[in-house]
Amino acid sequence: MSREEIKPQKTLESGYVTIEDLAKAGMIPPMEVLERKAVPIIDDIEHIPCTPCYDVCPTKAIIMPTMNDPPKVDWEKCTGCTLCAQACPGLAITIVNMAFGKNVLKRDGLALVSIPYELIPIPKKGDKVRVYDRGHSFLTEGEVYSVIKSPKFGTVLVNVLVPKEVALDVKFVEVIKDE
Amino acid sequence: MDRRVWEHPILKFDRGRELFISMNGKTIKAFEGETVAVALYAAGIMQFSYSSVRHRPRGPFCMIGKCSQCFMRVNGIPHVRTCITPVEDRMVVEVESGHDVDLPTPSRPIEVVPIKKHYDVVIVGAGPAGLKAAIKAGEAGLKVAVLDQSPYLGGQLIKQTHKFFGTKESYAGMRGIDIAKLLISQVKEFDNIDLYSQATVVGYYKKEGVLLAYQMEKLGVYKLLNFTAKSFVIATGAMEKNLIFPGDDLPGVMGAGAAQTLMNVFGVKPADKPLIIGAGNVGVIVAYQAAQAGIEVKAVIDIVSKSAAYLVHSSKIRRMGIPILMRHTIREAYGNGRVEGAVIYQVDDKFQPIRGSEVDLDVDGVWLAVGLSPSVELLELMGADIKFVPELGGYVPLRSRILETTAQNVFIAGDVSSIEEASTAMMEGTIAGISAAEKAGGNVEKLLEERKNAVLWLDEFRSGPHYKRIKEGLQKVLL
Repeated sequence: MSREEIKPQKTLESGYVTIEDLAKAGMIPPMEVLERKAVPIIDDIEHIPCTPCYDVCPTKAIIMPTMNDPPKVDWEKCTGCTLCAQACPGLAITIVNMAFGKNVLKRDGLALVSIPYELIPIPKKGDKVRVYDRGHSFLTEGEVYSVIKSPKFGTVLVNVLVPKEVALDVKFVEVIKDE
Repeated sequence: MDRRVWEHPILKFDRGRELFISMNGKTIKAFEGETVAVALYAAGIMQFSYSSVRHRPRGPFCMIGKCSQCFMRVNGIPHVRTCITPVEDRMVVEVESGHDVDLPTPSRPIEVVPIKKHYDVVIVGAGPAGLKAAIKAGEAGLKVAVLDQSPYLGGQLIKQTHKFFGTKESYAGMRGIDIAKLLISQVKEFDNIDLYSQATVVGYYKKEGVLLAYQMEKLGVYKLLNFTAKSFVIATGAMEKNLIFPGDDLPGVMGAGAAQTLMNVFGVKPADKPLIIGAGNVGVIVAYQAAQAGIEVKAVIDIVSKSAAYLVHSSKIRRMGIPILMRHTIREAYGNGRVEGAVIYQVDDKFQPIRGSEVDLDVDGVWLAVGLSPSVELLELMGADIKFVPELGGYVPLRSRILETTAQNVFIAGDVSSIEEASTAMMEGTIAGISAAEKAGGNVEKLLEERKNAVLWLDEFRSGPHYKRIKEGLQKVLL
């Protein structure tokens, strides 16, 4: 049997997190915030001893009373600078900018999602990519807007343009190879 | 065949000059810096030895000098641990025909030079725990020796491509490989710390207080080191556990850590499409690292219903499309002389097989991430009281809060004390290093505060739900 034929359960117990799980834990910002600015979506709702996002945040927007507390974001303090996404050892943070299409490209409807990436091939600007959700279900095709390598953490952030509707679901990309 | 990885998103493999070795008469290309086992594996050779009775083929299991499955005759010397023996040009490697009842004899003389050494503190194991302990004992102004049987320092840190969890105090956000480089460079700054790599401890003589080790200069030339010390830190780490199933001895079945060593230390693919058993942190992290090396992990399976891994680790591989199957285990691995497939099946909530749930997977490797056993043998020799505590991985030594055992002047740190992670190992190394230095009469006044903070840090680190079992286990061994 090939890997594609294996259908793992979509349960938290087997590593599958849903938007609902995240929303329940307060990890999804209000729509009003999402429409206005870039913010991190942190897929960490567990109590684990891990603090790099908290340590690196320049505006102290991440709230973490003890090292075992899951991070909470103060949406007003957050500037969307992406440092937390670069630092996160779990590669659990995407930065979602729903307003990017409207404000920068003058094309409402497009969002920019920054995805931490440590695989090869590393996508390049202009690459067409397949965009996947948290359980590797195909969402859409997207275009790589830019790629930044974190000087401090070595992790690459792939910035992908995707339709706004799926921006919160986007968690993984794969380059579409030229045939 | 060349199983080497030449492109990797995180690692650069600095291969030395090209060498040639022979294996049962066949010429094999190797690179300086590789070990014999690595060079053989890179050339597609998976059968390293044969069992003595049924002559079943065996391949390496641990790749860190702890198991005996990679024993081969090298340049006429029998029972060489090929996984930690560096290749030399024109080495002659032969498969041994079973392990004889009589001690095997070398076909050339072995040169052994006995040397006596005295130190304030002797540390066994140069992983995260041992290196940290060395730095602290070094800071206390003492004469320190660090021994490790591997040709490389850093223990298992050198195969961790991922950024570490934890806090600033435990180098969170840095990759294990970079933490290893940092600790090694710090240790090397001390004139009062001597490093002995490729030095294997073979005994401890309690009455004389002598720790005996042999250090390989090169194959066939050894120093017999006779250490005495005012105190010892034992940081010998752990060995991966095995799992019993038909075909469990087929070449290609190995510890997940062995796969890591091949992939991440040497850039050699242990398999192209492996199955990983165990969905704890080790299993899912190794699955992720395999993807980085261009390996397609077929699935990660685990017999329990909830993955013990941090959710961030397991969800990282789920989004990449690596299946995690809970309540699944292996029926058998099969193949002619190496793994060519594996059958897995589902179990119910009483761990009984569910009829008709068998799936035949097209895999060429089975990697076991089913836990580790602390390597306590040396501590037993030294007279430390040992207790079986499953929560901590098996037999572990009793210890005080400052990591002193019941053996006189013997301290512990890292996985040998309880199976946890590198972050806790480093913190325990700090504690044990300061404690051993205190015992040896070092200048520890400024370090005692640091030890206190390290003890408190560990308490807080272990206060989360993932550490519940470990905390319960620690209660059973605390003096």
